[in-house]
Amino acid sequence: MTAEHDPGTAAVAVLGLGNVLMGDDALGPWVVAQLAAAYDFPPEVEVLDLGTPGLDLHPHIAGRRALVLVDVVRSDAPAGTLRRYTKDEILRHVPGPRVSPHDPGVKEALLSLEFAGGGPAEVVLVGVVPQEVSSGTSLSAPVRAAADAAVQAVVDELVRLGCPPRRRAAPAAPDLWWEAAGGA
Amino acid sequence: MSKRITVDPVTRIEGHLRIDVEVDGGKVTKAWSSGQMWRGIENILKGRDPREAWLFTQRFCGVCTTVHAVASVRAVENAVGLEIPVNAQYIRNLIVAAHAMHDHIVHFFHLSALDWVDVVSALKADPAATAKLAQSLSPWHRNSVQEFEAVKAKLAGFVDRGQLGIFANGYWGHQAMKLPPEVNLLAVSHYLQALDYQRTANKVVAILGSKTPNIQNLAVGGVANAINLDNQSTINMNTLWEIKTHLEEMQAFIQHVYLTDVCAIGALYPDWLGYGAGVTNYLAVPDLPLDAAGTQFDLPGGTIMGGDIKTFKPIGSFQEKYFADNVSESIAHSWYDGDWQKHPYEEDTTPLYTDFQDDGKYSWVKAPRFQDKPMQVGPLAQVLVGFASGHEPTVKWLNWAIDKASGVAGIRIQPAMLHSTLGRHLARAVRCMVIAETSLKHWQLLVDNIARGDTTTFNKPEFTGRQMGFGFHEAPRGTLSHFVVIQDGKIENYQAVVPSTWNAGPRDGQGRPGPYESSLVGNPIADAERPLEVLRTIHSFDPCLACAVHTLDPEGRELGTVRVL
Repeated sequence: MTAEHDPGTAAVAVLGLGNVLMGDDALGPWVVAQLAAAYDFPPEVEVLDLGTPGLDLHPHIAGRRALVLVDVVRSDAPAGTLRRYTKDEILRHVPGPRVSPHDPGVKEALLSLEFAGGGPAEVVLVGVVPQEVSSGTSLSAPVRAAADAAVQAVVDELVRLGCPPRRRAAPAAPDLWWEAAGGA
Repeated sequence: MSKRITVDPVTRIEGHLRIDVEVDGGKVTKAWSSGQMWRGIENILKGRDPREAWLFTQRFCGVCTTVHAVASVRAVENAVGLEIPVNAQYIRNLIVAAHAMHDHIVHFFHLSALDWVDVVSALKADPAATAKLAQSLSPWHRNSVQEFEAVKAKLAGFVDRGQLGIFANGYWGHQAMKLPPEVNLLAVSHYLQALDYQRTANKVVAILGSKTPNIQNLAVGGVANAINLDNQSTINMNTLWEIKTHLEEMQAFIQHVYLTDVCAIGALYPDWLGYGAGVTNYLAVPDLPLDAAGTQFDLPGGTIMGGDIKTFKPIGSFQEKYFADNVSESIAHSWYDGDWQKHPYEEDTTPLYTDFQDDGKYSWVKAPRFQDKPMQVGPLAQVLVGFASGHEPTVKWLNWAIDKASGVAGIRIQPAMLHSTLGRHLARAVRCMVIAETSLKHWQLLVDNIARGDTTTFNKPEFTGRQMGFGFHEAPRGTLSHFVVIQDGKIENYQAVVPSTWNAGPRDGQGRPGPYESSLVGNPIADAERPLEVLRTIHSFDPCLACAVHTLDPEGRELGTVRVL
């Protein structure tokens, strides 16, 4: 009944969340693309762009020791503000009345694993306050300005978790395919 | 004196769906369904390479990724007149089938069962009686007394710590909750098991698609998977056996747990076979193609009008004009400039927000019409079309489900009762079973074809001048279609008509409501502050307004509201 740790699943995951077609919502995938291009990761770390999976997050978090989530966060702070949240802070406000939780599955997936067993002991959310979440394929200026700090924040979390990535001598170009020219 | 209830938003997953109902004398008299977020992301595709369109469309929605990818490559292949190798059809079909099983299991156990199952009541259940009941319903190996004791203890531990976690804020103790404690415990136990099988289905998608969500293996012209039975890095006999094992596990779970539970729980809510019919025109397109051109399918398509299966008309191929020529969308009550009704090839998307006007514009969702009529799409349409066309697996499993449910209910359930809120749940489970069984057939077709020496998976597309086409996919939530206009190898126009648009769309130019809106009329409302009945009917459609933004709200602002005026 407890979540099985799938063979080959790394103990620590960096999960970039967000929709690359919705402006600043692309922050999570953007950070993941930068990390994948510039760093080598130890075998116990997996770095994934998950898009907006809702409850389908489940298979990606079950059986992990620790998660580092990257996403834009709703806050009264100015656009581009970088924030760090712990698991307790993420789960402090349970998903609202049963009609509500379009709040996109992170809380629900974590809470259902709290009940089922097999959820990650440690969860950290690296969040940036967005300026513009609407149809579009690039980050706004304030979020772009904070995005490099978000990449560094993820690296710092991995160092703290005891699995530091190594910066490549010659980083590859990040695969930001959605930002490539061609669209209207 | 009538009351107005606004539920905003109503989906348990992402999306912003707002439902307004007027209630008079304890019943819904009028309803509005409103999409609260502008998509418009089709505009991002204009000017791009049509071979890459699927990478973008699968990001439309984070939950329905695979389906938008499949519909997109089919649309471009249709535009350029390209057949694809049968291996590619089978590989796509296995992904489509695994995704559908995953989606239906998540929908029932994790998104909508809690409309019917009272988690807190499960604490009063006797595990031995629960096991006896469960074993009378199915031979499932995880229906033991020990299993139910463990779940009850786990639940009690949660409650003792003063927190229900994932189950907090449910409508527990609501007077419309009717299940005995043992059935509630059974359902909570299977909720936990469903988490495991959700992952099993996901593994099939991951093996073939190389990543999930957002598969990587599609191509306009086929799939990017290489087949070489002797090569560890391609599709080989090991990966094929692994897939088969997962599909068999899924089939057992779906028959003995999902379909069985829906029959048993549904049978204990017989009133709900009488509510929620709404629009009884049904549309489903065929899927799981068996040939390169897409003219033969293992899942049938067609239309049924006015709830009369004698009106059945088939949709028989990827080139079917009966489908392509008869789809239009109305913006009479939608927040776009104008009040036209147009074919998707001719549409433009110019937003014009007005505020919520009961008799004017009130939704970002357009109102799709087929031959100018509102249509219900989804598993009920799929099953009724299968039944009307004499599709043997559908008929077999529908009869199996009706027998099972009738046995528990003590009444004979008639096929006409399927036009209902509960009928949609029953049909979804039947469809899921049909797909589970058929997926193993497609696994065998793939293996046999490879054994004959055919390892082709890709045909190259050619672009020239003006090319227009459509692609459809019968997704878990119903008919999905993409329409593309290509000029000299670049996308000039792109429109997606998605399942939840058919079902959640607002009124059209003639004032005719969409399926959500009409299905709510006549529903009982016991407690206006806790409109559980509205959720039951809306959730039975499996709503997903695919707008898919992902802003997290860790600072905990209240997002969902129920307002009663």
